[in-house]
Amino acid sequence: MNHSRSIRLHYLFRAVILLAFALYIGHLVQQDALHYYVAPKLARWIRLCPVPLCLMALSLGLQAVLGRSAALCDCEHRLPRSGLGSSALYGLFLLPLLLGFLLPDRALGSAAAAKKGIVLSYTAAEPGNGAKFTPSNPYEAEFAELAGKLYEQPVIPVHSEIFSETLGAMNLYKSQFEGKEITVSGFLYREPQGAGQPGYAVSRFLVQCCTADATPFGILLQPGTQISLPADTWIEVRGKLHVALFEGVETLQIAPERITAMAAPSTPYVYTNADAAAAWEELQRADIK
Amino acid sequence: MTTFTPFTLWPLLFSDTFKTSFLGILLEALPFVLLGALLSSLLRVFVPDEMISRWIPRRPLPAILFGCLLGILFPVCECGMIPLVRRLIHKGMPLYVAIVFILSGPIINPVVYGATLMAFRSHPELAYTRMGLAFVVAALIGLILYATVRKSPLRLSIRREGSEVHQADTRGGRVAAVLVHTSDEFFEMGKYLIIGCLLTAGIQTFMNQGSLSAIGERPLGSYVFMMGLSFVLSLCSTSDAFVASTFLHVFPAGSLLAFMVLGPMLDFKNSLMLLSLFKTRFALYLFFLIIATVFTGSVLASLWL
Repeated sequence: MNHSRSIRLHYLFRAVILLAFALYIGHLVQQDALHYYVAPKLARWIRLCPVPLCLMALSLGLQAVLGRSAALCDCEHRLPRSGLGSSALYGLFLLPLLLGFLLPDRALGSAAAAKKGIVLSYTAAEPGNGAKFTPSNPYEAEFAELAGKLYEQPVIPVHSEIFSETLGAMNLYKSQFEGKEITVSGFLYREPQGAGQPGYAVSRFLVQCCTADATPFGILLQPGTQISLPADTWIEVRGKLHVALFEGVETLQIAPERITAMAAPSTPYVYTNADAAAAWEELQRADIK
Repeated sequence: MTTFTPFTLWPLLFSDTFKTSFLGILLEALPFVLLGALLSSLLRVFVPDEMISRWIPRRPLPAILFGCLLGILFPVCECGMIPLVRRLIHKGMPLYVAIVFILSGPIINPVVYGATLMAFRSHPELAYTRMGLAFVVAALIGLILYATVRKSPLRLSIRREGSEVHQADTRGGRVAAVLVHTSDEFFEMGKYLIIGCLLTAGIQTFMNQGSLSAIGERPLGSYVFMMGLSFVLSLCSTSDAFVASTFLHVFPAGSLLAFMVLGPMLDFKNSLMLLSLFKTRFALYLFFLIIATVFTGSVLASLWL
């Protein structure tokens, strides 16, 4: 085959693929589906990607159509010579696009949580914390402050904006939260069948950057709780907190009084908050209004 | 709503998990790969050859220090690093300095430091040790490479063509030349990135992390387990500290350190990219050096922690 013609063809293919990537990102943004895959702070950057992608496609197209044959060369980046090599290369790039366009966008759920291993006690209580909510080092000050604010509530709400922080703060001072009322919502997680009774938990995925680092955080429902809902149903649980041994570790559990199914929230994941105590104040103020 | 029996539901759940993880990793890496490719093309078109070498100290020790601290200036994630480094090598950066930059850049930068500190609220010493260990490992490997590698290990050595002639002919001038090179780099790195993402997503979907943690119960087994985990998970260096912190009370602190230092230096995604950049023998030698020094370093650091 004529060498420069083959390069033109490659450039055209590449331009089309780049445009398709730009289109896919545009599609995700338009469907408001980007948050299924990445955290909001990263989504900002991904939203900008179609701009360079389109420009790249445009200049590739320009070279393919108007470029002088002498100027077209692949001396630096070898293009695949065989038809097989090219189809393998472009097939690879089409794969994410096909998956993206053809399969529905779904959030991670119980299946992923079971593989990753659900996190039930994120912070270990440091023994010998006699006084109420005094941090044992300056880095726990934020959790201690939040724990103090949570403790004052007649019914502790677990806001999704500070989900992992709330669980972490309560875990740090778990013995003091014994018997407190709590409401929490999340998807229903069912412990994979092991020995003994099935264990249930209310869980949310915490996402740092993208779904690769999604960590399932949850709070256990008291063993023996009878639930007829299928796994991954979004539920709201209201009940009393207890500390009990779970797999040899002291873990906070909820003795549920009421479990109600609810609609899935628009953002399925939770994110970290740099200043949880301030966020709490803001959420409380918004609730009163 | 349609109802599913458990038998039809399970494979469906798996493929959803697979798709969500795969596209998540790919979309996460996309801006950084584009940025890396763009920086590399800008360097190619606008910075004359050999100019970089004038900025780099001649003597090895200051040069290694320079490589370690370059990450603070270019806070590019590891995915964007490889195309950038390849260009830097062609522009006259010595190999050992480039490797030091590849290894330390994704860890020794303010963003990662902040994220680590936040993940280990109650153990800030882990964040300091992470930075320190990354520095020591990168510098040590830099010195070893300075002493042992003489020939260029690059897979594809670029001919020094008169680049001016080339760009004058690109339709649309220098801007278009930059963009064409950016897309060349994008496709070059993209194929390794996509394969890496596929493997990572496959492992995340099908591997049960709980069942593997039994390895971690043997002495030093936790180091092997955490290092293996960081390799297969291919997490971004800004988020891996958080995943490590969930193992805080399961494994010794030294193994978490190994996880957080090895992962950004070497994982599925970037080992494929390194293999595309360097000859296989050199790449394997580099992988061995990284694994050995991170292992030794983190075991030694755990004595002190």
